[in-house]
Amino acid sequence: MNHRLLKTFTLIMLSFALLLSMTACGQTTATTTAAPAAGETTAAPAATTAAPAEDVYIAVVSKGFQHQFWQTVYKGAQAAADELGVTITFEGPPSESDIQAQVQMLDSALAKKPVAIALAALSTESVTDQLNKALTAKIPVIGFDSGVPNAPAGSVYANASTDNKAAGALAAENVYPAIKDKLAAGTTDMPVVIAVLSQDAVGESVTNRTLGFVEKMAELVKAGGIAEVASVGHDKFKSGDEKTAKVLIDVGVSATTSATDIASAGTALLSKDNVVAIFGSNEAAANGILDASNEGVDLASKGILAVGFDAGKRQKAAVSSGVFMGSITQDPYNIGYKAVELAFKAYKGESVADIDTGAKFYTKDNMTQPDIGQLLYD
Amino acid sequence: MNVLSKKPAAGEEMAKQGLAGNQRLYALVAMILIYILFAVFGRNFFSFETAVNILDASYYIGFLAIGVTFVIITGGIDLSIGTVAMCSAMIGGVAWEKWGLPFTAGLVLILVSGALFGLLNGTLVSRLKLPPFIATLGTMMVSLGISSIVSKVQTVNFPSRTSEEGWFKSVFSKVQLPSGAMLPTGAILLLAVLLIAFVVLNKTKIGRYTFAIGSNEEAVRLSGVNVVYWKTIPYIISGLCAGMAGIAYASTYTTVVPGAGQGFELDAIAGVVIGGTSLSGGVGSVFGTLIGVMIMSILRIGLPSMDLQPHYQKLFTGIVVIIAVLMDISQQKKR
Repeated sequence: MNHRLLKTFTLIMLSFALLLSMTACGQTTATTTAAPAAGETTAAPAATTAAPAEDVYIAVVSKGFQHQFWQTVYKGAQAAADELGVTITFEGPPSESDIQAQVQMLDSALAKKPVAIALAALSTESVTDQLNKALTAKIPVIGFDSGVPNAPAGSVYANASTDNKAAGALAAENVYPAIKDKLAAGTTDMPVVIAVLSQDAVGESVTNRTLGFVEKMAELVKAGGIAEVASVGHDKFKSGDEKTAKVLIDVGVSATTSATDIASAGTALLSKDNVVAIFGSNEAAANGILDASNEGVDLASKGILAVGFDAGKRQKAAVSSGVFMGSITQDPYNIGYKAVELAFKAYKGESVADIDTGAKFYTKDNMTQPDIGQLLYD
Repeated sequence: MNVLSKKPAAGEEMAKQGLAGNQRLYALVAMILIYILFAVFGRNFFSFETAVNILDASYYIGFLAIGVTFVIITGGIDLSIGTVAMCSAMIGGVAWEKWGLPFTAGLVLILVSGALFGLLNGTLVSRLKLPPFIATLGTMMVSLGISSIVSKVQTVNFPSRTSEEGWFKSVFSKVQLPSGAMLPTGAILLLAVLLIAFVVLNKTKIGRYTFAIGSNEEAVRLSGVNVVYWKTIPYIISGLCAGMAGIAYASTYTTVVPGAGQGFELDAIAGVVIGGTSLSGGVGSVFGTLIGVMIMSILRIGLPSMDLQPHYQKLFTGIVVIIAVLMDISQQKKR
């Protein structure tokens, strides 16, 4: 019996020896990456902060891990950590329904007494206890990506996320030069139509992207010499006088978020006269444009220029084949980078404010470049 | 197993319980060793806070594992417990949040729904003679579907600590003491249920027949016992415990997502196996099960304290499970 006991323990101890050696490897890589950063002469200010920052540990808890989007966030976070000379851990649950896994990760992170936490919560309600604990322990929390909406007051110091309005405006800035010449043909009787397909007018991110596009486009058209511009389609996006408008920005809001309803809203927009361009303000809307246009064939025949948002498989294919002129993508690398940077600043006691992590316009020409390519998550 | 079953029942059972006792002892020592390892090498692992976190992560799996121990002792298996727990929590949550039922009624509904799923499993297995693996696999999918249908694929949020029903968290998960520390009340509840399960399993007719069916179902039938009835009971207990797991989950994690719960059953079954309960039936203990669950919970909280990704938890849990089963087999052979 005794030797069996011994054998079992040997096995268990062996497995933990394995575990320990893996941790040891992890730690050496961490220190070796930190060492050259501190040694670099060019990084003089960074080096001075890196020296006392030996034990500075920031926990990053994300909403996912395997997904390419999160892997890019991770890359950005690690890059910031290397530059600042801090240690980070980056964890995320296997799927967005694994709330217990995320809470356990956050609990473990808090127990490790980090100097700051960066968090993209699956559900704010499920982590309220943990946020209050961080608040009491004066551990700053930085929200990233979708952040921690409605968190207990004072617990979240700042957010690193995409400014959706600015991202929508970026689409308008890229569409406008391409359609500028066609706009002059518009008359009061026969206005030129710029269509916008919006999945809904409820969700904050989608609404802001749509609004950002509509407002920026109206501004650009006016600046281009056509004062008679109006936007119609939904009260939230209404502006100008529809009756006298020579350029009409027509927002189609889908009845529900189901794919068929979005497609029929797209069909309604595309069947209007004089449509020169269409913008779909999220993944579903971009797919809706493809559904409504016979996978883009009708766009070409009618000479309609299309632009999407996000980077799903279908959308990326549409861009690379030239069916879409281009699309907007968020910048997950920058989300990760800024999250860690904000967390570090908050720990240092510097004042922090929400940061727009930006968006990028991609076309078939630049989507294969590495800096853009890594942002094109599925 | 069949060879073993033909031996005289009484003496063999005692011997087998002795073996389970041995493995339970190993598991206990292993648990303490693993804890010490993390305490030495982990970052701030050895603290009251971490201990509470370990307990927090063990409640829902603990209830599931205690319940499924009964089924496994009969020689069966219940794969539906994870999704039944989440489906029951969903039904209770929707009843409270959307249908306007009082919150306590919602909690009762969670237990009732769990028990009903258990009754369904028991009926399929004992009366309709379905293999337990298939029957409970079906129930797993059924409960997964029902949870999405009832919730209309929407997330349900249970009461927060500050709301009117905030006592819910204090009773089932942990309560904040005036000093600011958290007292793990859920652990008291888990221990209470464990004691009840122990008494039922070892001191009542239910427990005796559960062991007997697992050792030699045919012999039990031939001695005139209503096997259909006594074989249904363990599944109902398992379902009821799944309901309690649903409550424990909701109080600890607040948000219940439709379609969740797949995989919980495997964690629970792993805990049962580590604790020395034999998957071939007839042998088992709820205390061993609790130790098994705690080992996994320590791994889950401890590995991140060494800055390891949580997937390593699966790896090491797997190793521990394999060691446990190897020991079970080698001891059976030795006899």
